Amino acid sequence: MLTGSKTTFKVRQMVPDMKERMMSHSSLHARGRDVLGLCCLPGECVLQRAVLVRKKLSAKEGGGWLSGTLFCTHFRVAFVPQDSQKPDDNADPVLLGDHDVALASIDKVVAVGPSRTKLVTPTCSLKFTPEELVLYCRDLRVLCFLFDRLTPDTQAVEITYTIAKTYQPLKPGTILSFQNAALGSIEMKQFLSNRWHDPNMNWFECSMGWEQELERTGASGWRVSSVNDRFEMSTSLPRFSVVPQRLLDTELKKTFAHFNEGRIPRWCWRHPHGSDLLRMASFQNNIYHEKDDIRNLESVLFGGQQLCVIVDLGEEMPSPADIQLAHTRLRTLCLGDISSSVSVPDDKWLSTLESTRWLDYTRCCLRKAAEVACLLRGGHMTVVLQEPEDRDMNCVVCSLVQVMCDPHCRTVAGFQSLVQKEWITAGHKFLSRINYHRESDKEEAPVFLLFLDCVWQLWAQYPARFQFTEDYLLALHDSVHLPLFSSFLANSQRERCRRPQHLPQSYTPVNGLRELPVGAPEEPVDPPFPPVWDWALQYSSLRRSRFTQPVSQPACPPPVLNGNLNTNLDRGWHNDGLPGSVFLLSRSTFSHPSNLLPWRSGNSGSYWKSHRRAPSSESLSGLERLLRACSLSEPSENPSTLHDPYEPLLPLLLGPCVRVWRGCYLRSALHAQAFSHPTSSCSQHPLDQLAWEVQQLREKLAQASHRRPENQTKQQEPRRLEPNLNQNANNGTFLFSSSSRTSQQQPSSQGAAHSSVIPKAQRTASDPPRPVQRNNGKHTFLFGHQQEPQSGQRYIPSPSAKLPKRHGNSH
Amino acid sequence: MLSLGSVGAKSTKPSFVSYVTPEEIKLEKEPPKKLKHPDLLPGEVEFCSANPILKYTQDDLSQRGVFGTLFCTNFRITFISDEKSQEETTKTFKNKLYGENDIPLMFVDHIYGVYDEKRKLITGALVKNKYPSKIIIHCKDLRVFQFCLTYTKEEDAKKIFQGIAHHCLEEKSLKCVFAFSYTGTPSPEMQRKRETILFDSPEDWTQEMKRTKANCRLVTENENFELSQRLPKYFVIPSALGDLFSYQGKGFPIWCWSHYSGCALFKASLPPVTQEDGDFQKHFDIMINAVAHNYLYSAKTEDLSESLPTIQDIQQSYNKFKQFFLIENSTDFWLSDMKWFSSLESSGWLDIIRQCLQKAVEVVECLEKDNTNVLITEEEGTDLCCVISSLVQIMLDPYYRTLMGFQSLVQKEWVAGCHAFLDRCNHLHQKDKECYSPVFLLFLECVWQLVQQHSPAFQFSETYLTVLSDSVHMPVFSTFLFNSAHHRESVLKHQRQLSLPSTAFKTPFKKGFFKDETDSLKKMLRVKRLSRWMGSPDSTAAISREFYESWQQRPLDYHGLLLPCLDGPAVRVWMQRYLRWIPEVHILGGGSVAVMTKLMELLSQVQDLKRVLEQRDSSQAAKPDHRPYIQHRLLSFGSSGRLPSSFPFAYSRNRSFKPIIPTGLMQCLMLTDSLASQEDEASSFVSLV
Repeated sequence: MLTGSKTTFKVRQMVPDMKERMMSHSSLHARGRDVLGLCCLPGECVLQRAVLVRKKLSAKEGGGWLSGTLFCTHFRVAFVPQDSQKPDDNADPVLLGDHDVALASIDKVVAVGPSRTKLVTPTCSLKFTPEELVLYCRDLRVLCFLFDRLTPDTQAVEITYTIAKTYQPLKPGTILSFQNAALGSIEMKQFLSNRWHDPNMNWFECSMGWEQELERTGASGWRVSSVNDRFEMSTSLPRFSVVPQRLLDTELKKTFAHFNEGRIPRWCWRHPHGSDLLRMASFQNNIYHEKDDIRNLESVLFGGQQLCVIVDLGEEMPSPADIQLAHTRLRTLCLGDISSSVSVPDDKWLSTLESTRWLDYTRCCLRKAAEVACLLRGGHMTVVLQEPEDRDMNCVVCSLVQVMCDPHCRTVAGFQSLVQKEWITAGHKFLSRINYHRESDKEEAPVFLLFLDCVWQLWAQYPARFQFTEDYLLALHDSVHLPLFSSFLANSQRERCRRPQHLPQSYTPVNGLRELPVGAPEEPVDPPFPPVWDWALQYSSLRRSRFTQPVSQPACPPPVLNGNLNTNLDRGWHNDGLPGSVFLLSRSTFSHPSNLLPWRSGNSGSYWKSHRRAPSSESLSGLERLLRACSLSEPSENPSTLHDPYEPLLPLLLGPCVRVWRGCYLRSALHAQAFSHPTSSCSQHPLDQLAWEVQQLREKLAQASHRRPENQTKQQEPRRLEPNLNQNANNGTFLFSSSSRTSQQQPSSQGAAHSSVIPKAQRTASDPPRPVQRNNGKHTFLFGHQQEPQSGQRYIPSPSAKLPKRHGNSH
Repeated sequence: MLSLGSVGAKSTKPSFVSYVTPEEIKLEKEPPKKLKHPDLLPGEVEFCSANPILKYTQDDLSQRGVFGTLFCTNFRITFISDEKSQEETTKTFKNKLYGENDIPLMFVDHIYGVYDEKRKLITGALVKNKYPSKIIIHCKDLRVFQFCLTYTKEEDAKKIFQGIAHHCLEEKSLKCVFAFSYTGTPSPEMQRKRETILFDSPEDWTQEMKRTKANCRLVTENENFELSQRLPKYFVIPSALGDLFSYQGKGFPIWCWSHYSGCALFKASLPPVTQEDGDFQKHFDIMINAVAHNYLYSAKTEDLSESLPTIQDIQQSYNKFKQFFLIENSTDFWLSDMKWFSSLESSGWLDIIRQCLQKAVEVVECLEKDNTNVLITEEEGTDLCCVISSLVQIMLDPYYRTLMGFQSLVQKEWVAGCHAFLDRCNHLHQKDKECYSPVFLLFLECVWQLVQQHSPAFQFSETYLTVLSDSVHMPVFSTFLFNSAHHRESVLKHQRQLSLPSTAFKTPFKKGFFKDETDSLKKMLRVKRLSRWMGSPDSTAAISREFYESWQQRPLDYHGLLLPCLDGPAVRVWMQRYLRWIPEVHILGGGSVAVMTKLMELLSQVQDLKRVLEQRDSSQAAKPDHRPYIQHRLLSFGSSGRLPSSFPFAYSRNRSFKPIIPTGLMQCLMLTDSLASQEDEASSFVSLV
């Protein structure tokens, strides 16, 4: 640990000089940059600059205009406000400032002249001096810059040209140069390779991660298997997967062939009521089932449970192509492109929104996830999500279920772990779906964005139940459009690991002084990509501070072990013989098609024939009752469910409840500005303000309760003619103990910020250090002078055991 | 007053389908003997009652409900459950005048009867013959009640049905309105502190002119309504206008408000077009001249009846719109769900709101940017003129964004401005459909859009607006009961006991956390003209678009000019008003109420901590008894820890049958409704910030 931090320190020391060098280097391109400093990344070159530019602020930023200087570098379009503070040279490089946009996120550049607007492409020529520059971004932002009359015309024209030439519209292959511009410099590589994995979240990159998750959820009967460690069994699966404990690796290996792409049923999560959530691809049908195979397959599907519900996500859910189409339509509707001059009349906006079908798809995902969440609540079954590929909708639904049911997933760390678990390591095809390379559009579909929208819907309905805020989701949404993060730059964990730099390794903490990556000359083309979760790299601390709610962090309770919480099911369900019952949940009803499990259907195996029986209608209706019972929740009447944190957050899905994510899709569309209260630095959100005030008052209170003895001493000073030495000594101990006490107080008050005040009040009253200190003062200084009967009464509840001990210390 | 017993006793056997429910069996065993009686308001008289009546909860597929007694009084229809009286958990937010099972007679919008499974709209003709097995009452505040009459005695059922139908649907005289028999006296403290300016005395008008620095002339000649009965007792006209009596029968430009630059907004009723052209033109010229004389000799006129929808259009559109929210059973709602947005759009209500706001923005532009006087005209001068002039004032003058200012504005423009509330709200159930139109509601809708978009600029919250929109139909208040000042005067003169509470706002309003300086705000607008930045102005929309853009370029000043955004996604449905009774869309423990509760909680913490701190600072001997207090405060919030998103209106008390996942499987499930009490103390939700 220590050595590691030493290295970072060293690099920090080094970066500035290097940066200095680069700046002087880049000053060839930009004259007079010493006046208005842009805090460049190491190796970043400023290509063009325009002064006296005003940027239009969105309503969220406070509205109005901000004047400053516009820069175009190899990597980004940067805007530096006039009165911005001089950046601290020693600070870690931050990729994007608050007003910047990366070139790769830009979708369209439009110049607005006195009489016309023009879409600027790298090849076209501008016949007028632009008064205004509008940048349409892929992440649905619209940046609008206004050139002043005093801006030199050449600067306005030049910067427009420069941006248009360098932003690389839809050109395959150019992505690499962008990545290099951002991260390619030696200093940057060095800096990145010394950054740490966030230890608070679970990365699921080693077996430890999975074991932690098993422990966290209290799942028993499962183990982490490394059978796919070298990606031999399945190329798209992660190296580790969780399978039933009793299944040996050799047995497990035989099951891979029975599933599409070898994506066998894998454990994802356990509901505290004892149900397990699994996901898998569709069955390979044209394969012979041997007896042993069948046994293994059954065992991998059922885990330790006797009941298995397969949730089919293939049919009802939107296909990736649908999602892509809907998203494209939504984009055109929301962006309000001034260059295309096709705009929806205001009175037709709602029906056009409906016809994009985006909200329908959001609703569809949420509904499916809510059903699964209700099902899981019943306990003692495995719920297996099945999708032909197991790489799109399974990710969406599986993670949504967990967001709904598991309060841990509603914290930032938990949510990041969740995305890491269900998307990144699980092999969602980020690279093809986001289509950074613009090579073929066939695969492109913003499935992950759909997921983020779904989470936002939940967040919008239950804001108090989440630790993270809309800003966090928005930051994640924007990062998806930035081709710089290892998380999104591969289709599977295998691809990620095969990269030359092999990031997971370069990111693992190394003991001893880490050598600088000398391998840079060999692979100059591939900078190391950081994971998207390294927020400090991307955003300033101001923006990061808005990622979490100011107050009310949902307390994450310890998991209920063994899942014995709710076992009020009919026993008859799952104690009748080995072959558990399998049901299919499709279109919101349960059924039992005979070919649900291919090996159980008909003549493939005689092994189960004698045991096979039609599933009793009782258990079928029992299941439906279960689903019903959950959705008919009565939280207000049952106080225990009210406080059950695992009570799923069920979203309301009716027409008026599913809404457009205005903060994202409409955040800077030119026509829709007045939605949110401005949350600029000067005016905080009222919650922020109040929470801050509470914090302040608490500190004051803590101080006041301290200062009192101090005040008393001061009042009595003139009357006393004691030797100074004594007083100083006393003061010294007093101050010392008081300062140590405030430092103790700090975390406790933070910890209590989200709990209620009552325990807090008690705590402050019966805080252990205080009586010590008071007695301290009495003994050495105030003894016999001031009698405080009240205080004596007051601090009676404090543990008396500590008193003599500290006495001994002080003397 | 009206003897119902005398209605013919011939009984036609009703044919109905009886649904056997468990409750029914129980009922036969032990018919409740003692009738519970409603707590009558002072002056309230009970007409008839029937027992047992089954009140259905909202889903009619399940036929589930509560038995009780239905009463009809001269104030309301009320249902008292036989079951244990449900204790209100949060009494503080309850409406003081009516509870969750009360329907004040004026709230009734339509009554449907179910005869042989067929639903028919009840009109006067149907009352005579037979009574339905079930009556469905649609209220103007969008509640829906369903009562089953089949369990009660035929005679009683008939009586109650006819009683309800008679009192709710028949045309009646103003004297029958409950307000005239209400004998409740407003609390003395209310009498004392009257912060709302009522604009019923010359002083009020002088004061208002002084406040806005207007130099117009106060007219007192109409004190006895000699000039016109359609004009208020006192009003203000441009000082250039001469002898008023010579213009008798024609409209006057009536002063509404003066911009700080000196230009002013006037409204006038357009004289009837039947007049001979020359005369009309001459009079119109005089009016314009008088208006122009006010400031810099520039004036613009705007004929609202040309550019805005007629009041009949407004009425039709609202009728269509409200149907989406009058939910009788949840299945209907789920079915409408798929086409939600397009069906909303087809009603055109949102577009009418947009048009009104658009027009107001145009007027604001004339005043603010061009500094010209504006005269808005309309045939009556009391409908859309009121909407536009009030909106303009709210946008321009921060005073009207405070609670008291807003109430004064309603008094000035609507009540003193002679908006025909009686006709427009159709309080008396007149057959003449022509004059009924929810113009005032349209105004509140427009204000809601503004509040929604710029909530920090307003002292009041949307809950206040919702309650106000209900109060319009509350037959206790005199504010919204008359057609004009003359009408009010003449009715009240003949009324022997002048007992009407004069204001609609019952409880004294607590001050919110709103910045106090708002009351004494001065506009700090700097009119900066920035170069236009896009588009070519070829239509009026584009021009005002430009105005909006230039306004947007300035930093937002909540104490200055406020313009609404009018684009497609910006004009929204007033969720709180329209969806508050629909349990399916309530988010339990979520929605904006969750944030609000959190804020309240934090605020109380701040207050407590401050108090503790003060105690500590002031007295050396800290009193240990502050802790119970904190506990107490927190408990009051703790009980409301998980409020539904419809908070002050519908509680989650009996929402035990709420399917959350609208799947095919769920649709056949049962529901109970959660019609709940309504708060009167909207003030506690005065918007934060």
